[in-house]
Amino acid sequence: MISILITLVLVFILQFLFYSWWWIILVPLVLGFLEKDSLAKAAGGCGLGIFLLWFGMSLYHWLSGGEIIVTRVAEVMGGGSGFTLALVTGVIGFLVAAIAGFSGFSLRKVLIKEYQIS
Amino acid sequence: MRIFKTILAFCALFVLFSLLNNSQGSIPPLGKFLNPFVGFWINGEALDHIDEVLDVKGLKEEVKVIWDERQVPHIFAENTYDVYFAQGFLTARHRLWQMEFQTHVAAGRVSELIGSKAIEFDKTQRRRGLLLGAEKALQKISEDSETQLILQAYANGVNTWIDMLTPVMLPLEYKLLNYEPETWSTLKTALLLKFMAWDLTGRNSEMDMNIIRSALGEDFVNQYYPDDTPRTDPIVPVAKPWHFDALVPELNPAAFEPQFVKDLRNAEPDRDNGSNNWAISGKKTASGFPILANDPHLGLKLPSIWYEIQLHTPDMNVYGVSLPGAPAVIIGFNENIAWGLTNAGSDVMDWFEIEFKDDSYSEYLYMDEWIDAELRVEEIRVLGGEVVLDTFAITRFGPLVYFGEHNLENDHPVGLAMRWSAHDPSNEMKAIRGMNLASDLESFFSALDQFDAPGQNFAVAARDGDIGIRHNGKYPLRGSNQGKFVRAGRDTTGEWREWIPRDQLPVISNPWRGFVSSANQNPVGKKYPYYMGWEYEDYERGSRINDRLKMMENIGFQEMQDLHMDNFNKGAQYILPFIIEQLEPASLTRDEIEILHDLEQWDYVSDPDERAAWVYKQWWLHLEQAIWNDELTLFGEVRELPTRSVTAELLLRKPNLIYYDDINTPETEDRKTIITSAFQQTVSDLTQGLGPYGDAWELGRARGTDINHLLKVKGLGRTGLLTGGGVGMVNATKKTHGPSWRMIVELGDSLKAKGIYPGGQSGNPGSVYYDNAVDDWVAGNYYKIYFLSTPVVQKDTNHLLTSLRNYQ
Repeated sequence: MISILITLVLVFILQFLFYSWWWIILVPLVLGFLEKDSLAKAAGGCGLGIFLLWFGMSLYHWLSGGEIIVTRVAEVMGGGSGFTLALVTGVIGFLVAAIAGFSGFSLRKVLIKEYQIS
Repeated sequence: MRIFKTILAFCALFVLFSLLNNSQGSIPPLGKFLNPFVGFWINGEALDHIDEVLDVKGLKEEVKVIWDERQVPHIFAENTYDVYFAQGFLTARHRLWQMEFQTHVAAGRVSELIGSKAIEFDKTQRRRGLLLGAEKALQKISEDSETQLILQAYANGVNTWIDMLTPVMLPLEYKLLNYEPETWSTLKTALLLKFMAWDLTGRNSEMDMNIIRSALGEDFVNQYYPDDTPRTDPIVPVAKPWHFDALVPELNPAAFEPQFVKDLRNAEPDRDNGSNNWAISGKKTASGFPILANDPHLGLKLPSIWYEIQLHTPDMNVYGVSLPGAPAVIIGFNENIAWGLTNAGSDVMDWFEIEFKDDSYSEYLYMDEWIDAELRVEEIRVLGGEVVLDTFAITRFGPLVYFGEHNLENDHPVGLAMRWSAHDPSNEMKAIRGMNLASDLESFFSALDQFDAPGQNFAVAARDGDIGIRHNGKYPLRGSNQGKFVRAGRDTTGEWREWIPRDQLPVISNPWRGFVSSANQNPVGKKYPYYMGWEYEDYERGSRINDRLKMMENIGFQEMQDLHMDNFNKGAQYILPFIIEQLEPASLTRDEIEILHDLEQWDYVSDPDERAAWVYKQWWLHLEQAIWNDELTLFGEVRELPTRSVTAELLLRKPNLIYYDDINTPETEDRKTIITSAFQQTVSDLTQGLGPYGDAWELGRARGTDINHLLKVKGLGRTGLLTGGGVGMVNATKKTHGPSWRMIVELGDSLKAKGIYPGGQSGNPGSVYYDNAVDDWVAGNYYKIYFLSTPVVQKDTNHLLTSLRNYQ
């Protein structure tokens, strides 16, 4: 739960400081690396955090003056409603963040193990 | 194992990053595009917000802007620089992507945005020399400090907006195509104006005329492609005497058979780029003040081609539509005059076949000598990093647009060079500035002396009661039919050397009939001493306008609106009863007889719910094809057909024309047979396409109008609009083409104006103001125009005020 919240808040703040979309890779990568024990927290926590952030923000824009643009873009992308588009956005965010969290977690396991052997 | 998993995870992450960070074909970079902090989600109505105060770097003094309820900016500035700076700034705020994209198209730079599929388009576009013309225009502009200041102020305003843009606020299309705006320049404005000139003058049938003459003979061309369109009511009434000594062209070039055969029409602008305008004397209006009306017909796109604006300084107050990317008002009014434009249609583009020494295209034959061509190397950058070099030759007859074939006799390479008046140095911006400031007919026409290309009919109404119209432009002095055919570019014959003097151009002021009008028809009758071209619009639209205006008295806004929306098909009224009479009823089915019955009952008004209008249109097209397509399919293409009015006259007056017979069938068809079979074919085709005779056959449903996005992206346009009208009607609305701005202005002590265009002020597809006027435009409604004299929000309006504060 905390990892979800940390991911969400960190990316939220960073997005307002810098425009790059790949915070959803970098932050989970680092958080995953810092996670000692649980793969579920590393991958799932990061993934869910970003899902909630992207899905939630998309819904927010859609419902606060974004109906026209969302309807149009949904048609450009081949159909669907604003809700579907927000869901797709959230799911893509989840996928990317979860894989990034998993990658960070795995990296730590590899590096820490090798450090212990030497 | 763990290492393997980690490597795999990072590989997956890398692949995902690449996929989401870059465009995949036509799919935008989804990581950026879907990101709810930066992507498309931001491009909603929040961007419509109007600030009360904006700090703008680069202004000399504070500028006040009143925004009306349609987000038309009314700019109040203290000096000339600031007013155009603010115009550039605010236009870019609404239309930046469109402005830049149009100049990319004009400059042949589309490959940079969409990749290699546009390389051939870019090459042709560059060879047409729009950039060449724009560079020469800038040179000319540099001689006039005021125009230069205006262009530079506008560019500075655009660039200030670009500098203020964050990636979050980028227009949607930049996010879709994954690129960013570049710095605006005066050259881009010049390019945009050349692009408009191309759109309006870039079409002619010279190659087809050569091919047709070669296959079917000179008589065929003279008879069926005459210089005077039958039944035309010219812009300047035929009775007008011309009191001047006309110049005489030196040589009438001899006939020439080109080696190069190319279908030019596919690459050329729409033949129906036309328009209506008229100015009515106070004698015929209810208020006693003159009225001006205009509706330019252009390709209908979103974002709209026009941007509505008011520009106010201590020495100017002008309102109208501007072209996003160019300063000033193109069509509009000030306190003293109102003006409207229609395309002139006179020939300002000639094609010359040039013979080159070898495949380097560096020398060409002229006056029996090989002379050097200027070789220009174009660097076409393609999305993804590839750079394509294209060399093209510039001759004294203009740039070589098409090449790649050889003279059959001596194997020398040959190509087609394009001589176009818009390639010559000119300063239309100075003319437009003069028009915006003009106080009467005389000062308006005097400003037009600077306006070379595109040729336009300028109709004007002045507050002092004068009305007038001038067929304006820089027109070469031609021998009869010079420019109707491709010429040999190897000597002085056919070369442009002199121009029709401006004071001898077709013009008329305050005619006795109390109005002037134009609808792209032949500007003059046979008494006028100069030959200016032959591809003018058929008689129907112009003649209908004149018929209506002659009948009208006590004219007010409603009558003008009704005339703009007039769907009466004069061509159908002329020919339909005759072709119905020629049908052989015995050979018709029950369904066909039902349809025929509706045609007989039709009042020739092409309203959106009218089935007969669409049946007639299709029947006529089938009939034209039945008469001409067999003879005119030459070199694998159906060549330019005779005009509607020529074909209609033949049908009426020639019962036994040999061309009625289809040369591809063993039978001998006659007039009755082809009229009947064309009707049956029409019913069969429409039934196949639309189902049994019913609502789907109504004009609005079967044709209607689609206003597509400039990129033709589905979802960003407005399609399936139930419109009436069509070709040959005053309401010249077609499938993707039509009245791009309808304006009516009544001058007088208190100026009144109405207008509408099919779109909205904003270029943002997520804005309410993107297409807010479309439904009203379809319905024939107009909006009240606020012509303000002070930057004060008026009572009972929901207008907003923005102060653009000078910020250093």
